[in-house]
Amino acid sequence: MAEESFLADDFLRQLMSVGEVDLLVGIPSYNNASTLAQTLQSVEASLRQNFVRERAVILNVDGGSADETRQLFVQSAERIDAGHKGLTSLRTVHRISCEYDKSPSQGLALHSIVAAADLLRARACVVISPTTTNLTPSWVANLLRPVYRQGLDFVAPLYVRSRFQGLLARDLLYPMCRAIFGQRIRELYSEEWGFSGRLASQCLEKDVWHEEAVRARPEAWMAITAISADLKCGQYFLGPKTASPTGTGPDIVEAIRQTVGNFFWCLETNQANWLSRSNSQPVPTFGPDHELSLDGIPPSQEKIFDLFRSGVSELEPILASILAQDTHAQIEAIALSDRSNFHFAPELWVKTLYEFAASYHHAVLNRDHLVQALVPLYRGRLYSFLLENANSSAEAMETQSEILCQEFERQKPYLIEKWTAKR
Amino acid sequence: MLLQDENLWYKDAVIYQLHVRTFCDSNGDGIGDFRGLTSKLDYLQELGINAIWLLPFYPSPLRDDGYDIADYTSVHPAYGSLQDFKDFLTAAHNRRIRVITEMVVNHTSDQHPWFQEARSSRENPKRDWYVWSDTDSRYQGVRIIFVDTEMSNWAWDPISKSYYWHRFFSHQPDLNYDNPVVREAMWEVMKFWLDIGVDGFRLDAVPYLIERDGTSCENLPETHEIIRDFRKRIDLAYPGKMLLAEANQWPADVRSYFGNGDEFHMAFHFPLMPRMFMAVKLEDRKPIIEILEQTPQIPDACQWCVFLRNHDELTLEMVTDIERDYMYDEYAVDKAMRINLGIRRRLAPMMENDRRRVELLTGLLLSMPGTPIIYYGDEIGMGDNIYLGDRNGVRTPMQWNGGWNAGFSSADPERLYSPLISNPVYGYQAINVDSQRRSAHSLLSWTKSVIQTRNAFRVFSRGSIEFLNPSNHRVLAYVRRLGEEKVLVVNNLSSSAQAVELNLQMYKRHIPIEMFGRNLFPRIGDLPYLLTLGPYQFYWFRLRRI
Repeated sequence: MAEESFLADDFLRQLMSVGEVDLLVGIPSYNNASTLAQTLQSVEASLRQNFVRERAVILNVDGGSADETRQLFVQSAERIDAGHKGLTSLRTVHRISCEYDKSPSQGLALHSIVAAADLLRARACVVISPTTTNLTPSWVANLLRPVYRQGLDFVAPLYVRSRFQGLLARDLLYPMCRAIFGQRIRELYSEEWGFSGRLASQCLEKDVWHEEAVRARPEAWMAITAISADLKCGQYFLGPKTASPTGTGPDIVEAIRQTVGNFFWCLETNQANWLSRSNSQPVPTFGPDHELSLDGIPPSQEKIFDLFRSGVSELEPILASILAQDTHAQIEAIALSDRSNFHFAPELWVKTLYEFAASYHHAVLNRDHLVQALVPLYRGRLYSFLLENANSSAEAMETQSEILCQEFERQKPYLIEKWTAKR
Repeated sequence: MLLQDENLWYKDAVIYQLHVRTFCDSNGDGIGDFRGLTSKLDYLQELGINAIWLLPFYPSPLRDDGYDIADYTSVHPAYGSLQDFKDFLTAAHNRRIRVITEMVVNHTSDQHPWFQEARSSRENPKRDWYVWSDTDSRYQGVRIIFVDTEMSNWAWDPISKSYYWHRFFSHQPDLNYDNPVVREAMWEVMKFWLDIGVDGFRLDAVPYLIERDGTSCENLPETHEIIRDFRKRIDLAYPGKMLLAEANQWPADVRSYFGNGDEFHMAFHFPLMPRMFMAVKLEDRKPIIEILEQTPQIPDACQWCVFLRNHDELTLEMVTDIERDYMYDEYAVDKAMRINLGIRRRLAPMMENDRRRVELLTGLLLSMPGTPIIYYGDEIGMGDNIYLGDRNGVRTPMQWNGGWNAGFSSADPERLYSPLISNPVYGYQAINVDSQRRSAHSLLSWTKSVIQTRNAFRVFSRGSIEFLNPSNHRVLAYVRRLGEEKVLVVNNLSSSAQAVELNLQMYKRHIPIEMFGRNLFPRIGDLPYLLTLGPYQFYWFRLRRI
C-alpha cells in the first residue's frame, strides 16, 4: 500500500508551479484576516527593496482559519505606486497557500514550510508571524540576509524586552540552553526566525513531526538541531515587538509545558551531542545582543508567592521523586521563609532545573506531569526575581542574568552526572 | 480613418533590417552596395520576409553610420548610384518585397549644404533652418542622449560665433521645425523618394523635432502637428505608404504618435524588447506581461513594431535602474559590451549561442502582436565584435559562406569597411548562409520555417492577444485570435522542463494542432489542459473546432 503524504495534491501543484526559489517566506496563520494584509505588504516590500533579483515565494500555511485568512492571502493585490513605469519587481513574487490541518499547530505549520523549502530548494527561509503588528520590511530582510548572503543556517531574532517581559526565557530557557548546547542564542522561542534550506532539509528528514513537543513549539527544536549538527547560528536585533491580541500566547502553565517540555525533549533527543560539550560561545550577532527597556509593569507578586508555597506543599511527593533529597529540602525551607525576605538563589535554581531535566530523562514519572511540577518552583524563582529587582536598572538585571548563565555552565557537570547515573 | 486592406500591408509584414554597406559588395571595393544587395534578394525572398528596412544610404561623412546625412536626395557613391537604388527597388517589388527607407528628419550632418549655408553668416537665408543661440543655457535640464560622448546639447560654432542645438552628436545639428520652410524642404525630400517608389519611411528621432523653454523638448504638441501634416500629405498623394516612428519612449508616451490614426502607422515598442531578454534570463513571464499591460490600445489601422536586436545598442533607456543593472550584469558583464545606456551585442552571443534560447526569442518575436523586425545576420546566428568601437561590432559584413571574405566581397580583407567576425564560434567559417542552407536543421532553415508559418496565418499579424495566467510563472501562454482563427502559444522561459496547466475552458472541444509538425493533440475538455515543455521549448497550436 502506498504511503500517505502530508502534502495535499493542490499544495504540491502549487509548488510545481513555483519551481526552484532562492527565498521562502513562511507565514503560519490561524484566523489572522485582520492583520495578514499588513504582514504581506511588509514582506513584499522587503523582497522588492532587498532581494530584487532573487526568486521568492511567500507561503501561507493555515491551521483551518474560519475568517477567510487564506482567501485574503491569495487575493490581496500587490501594492503598486500610482504612475509606476517599468516593473514593480524583476520577478514574480509567488504567493501560495495551503491548509495543513483543520486546527492550528506550529509544528505542522513548520512541517509544511520546511517541506516546501526542501522541494523548492530554497536557499534562505524565514518564518513570519501575522500576529506581529509592528513588522517592518527590514525585519524580513534582516532574518533572511545572514542566511542568504552570509551562509548562516539559523538566525534567531533579538527583541527589545521590557524588564519584566520574557522572564521565562531569561531565567530558564536561554541560560540553560546556553550552558548545555554551548551557543548563546537568546530567543530560542520566537515567532520569527530565519533558516537555511540545508537546515530545512535536515529537519524534514527527522521522524519527529508527530511528537507533541515539536508540534507545539518547533522553533527551538530547529535551532537545537542546527546547533547539534554544527551548523552556523546567529541572531539579529530587530527592535521592539508588539503583537495583536490573538498573539498574547498561553498562560504560564501552558507556556512551561510547551517550552520547557519541548526543551527537555530536545535534551533527550540530542544527548549524544551536548553531553560532550563544555562552555559556551557567542554566536554572530547583528546589532546589540540584548536591550532591556525600563517600561513595563511587574506582575502581581502576592499571588505568585502563594502559588509557589501551596505548590511546594501540594506536590511534595512528586517533587520528592524528582529532586535530590537535599535540593527538595532546601526548596521546602525557602517555601516556609518570610515572603519579604524570600530568596531563591541561582545555585539552587540551577540545581533544581538540572535535577528536573535528569528526572525527565529517567522518566521517573509521567513526563508531562513532571514538567508541570516545575510550574510552582518557577513561580518561586519569579517571585524572588521580582522582589530583588523591583528597582534595578537594566544593566544590573543584565549582570544578574549573566551570573545566572555562568552558574548554569558551572553546574553542567552536575547535570551530566545526574543524567548518566543509573537509576 | 478607413484604409483599403492592401494599404495595411505593414501589419502583415515581416521586416528585415539591413545596411546596404554590410550586405554584399558587388564591385570589390570592400563596401556593400545596392547591386550586391539586389543580387541577394532571392535569399531574402526565400527567407520569407516581405519588407526590407534600409539604414541610411545617403551621402554622408559617416561619422554616425549614415545618420549624419549630407544630401537627402542621392545615394552615397560607395553604395552605388541612384539608378542602382531604383533597380534594387524594382527587383524587390518584383519579389513582393516592400522597401522602407530611413528618413533622418531631426538633424542633418554639419556637412550638409543647408548647415554650411546657415553657419556662414547670421544673415544667411538658411540661418533659421537650424536652432541657434548666443548662450548655451537655453533649454536647461534637457537630457543628453549620447551620454558617453556629449557634455551638452549645445555646440559652439566658431564660424558664426554662436551655439547650435543638437540632441545627438555635436556634428548633427538639429533642424528648426518652427520654420515652415524647413518642413516644406523635408516634405520635398519625402516626395522625392515616394515618387521613386519606396513604400515607407522610418522617421528617425521624432520626439525631438521641436524645442520649447521649460520643457523636456520631447514629445511636444507642435511635434505632433508636424507629423500630422506629413501624414495628411502622404495619405492624399501616396496612399498605402507607411510612416514608422522611432520614439524611444514608454508605450503610454509613444501612444500619442499614433494620434487618432492620423500620425504614424507604426511605432517601435522599445520597452518590450529588453523585457523579452529579461524574461528569459529571469525565467519568469512577469517582465513581458507587465509591460504589455502598461501598453495602451492603438487605433485599428496602427501597429507596433517589435524587434529583438537592431543596428543600435540594445537600448536600456526605457527600463528602471534596477532592471538596467540586471541587464548589464546578466548580458554585459564585460564593460566593452556596454555603450551609452545599452548593450552592443547581437542576439546569438547574448544567448551564449544557445540555439534553444535564440529560437524561443525568435518564436516570441514572431508570435506576439506587432510587426516583427529581423536584424540581418540574426537568422543565421551571427556574432559580434565588441572591440570595434561605437556600435560597429553589430554592423560587420554579412556571412554568406566560409570562403574569401565570407562571400561578402572579393576585395582584399584589409580593404573591407569592417573586419569580419572570425572567431572559432561565430566566425564566418562556422556561421554562414551557405552551410546553413545545406542543413534542414540549421537555424536558418528553422527561421525560414517559422516565418513561413507566421505568414500563413493572419492571426499573428492582426489578431488580438489574450494572456493565460497559469500558476507556473515560467510559462508564458497566450491565445491570438482573429475571427474564428485561434492560435495558442505556450513558451517555456526556463532552462528546465516544465509542466503547466492551462485554463482553456473558453476553447472547450477544440483540438489543438501543433503548427510546425501539424500533429493533433488531445481535445480540450473540462479539466485544465496539461502540457509539459522541455527547456526553452515553445508550442504554437492552431485551435480548431471540428
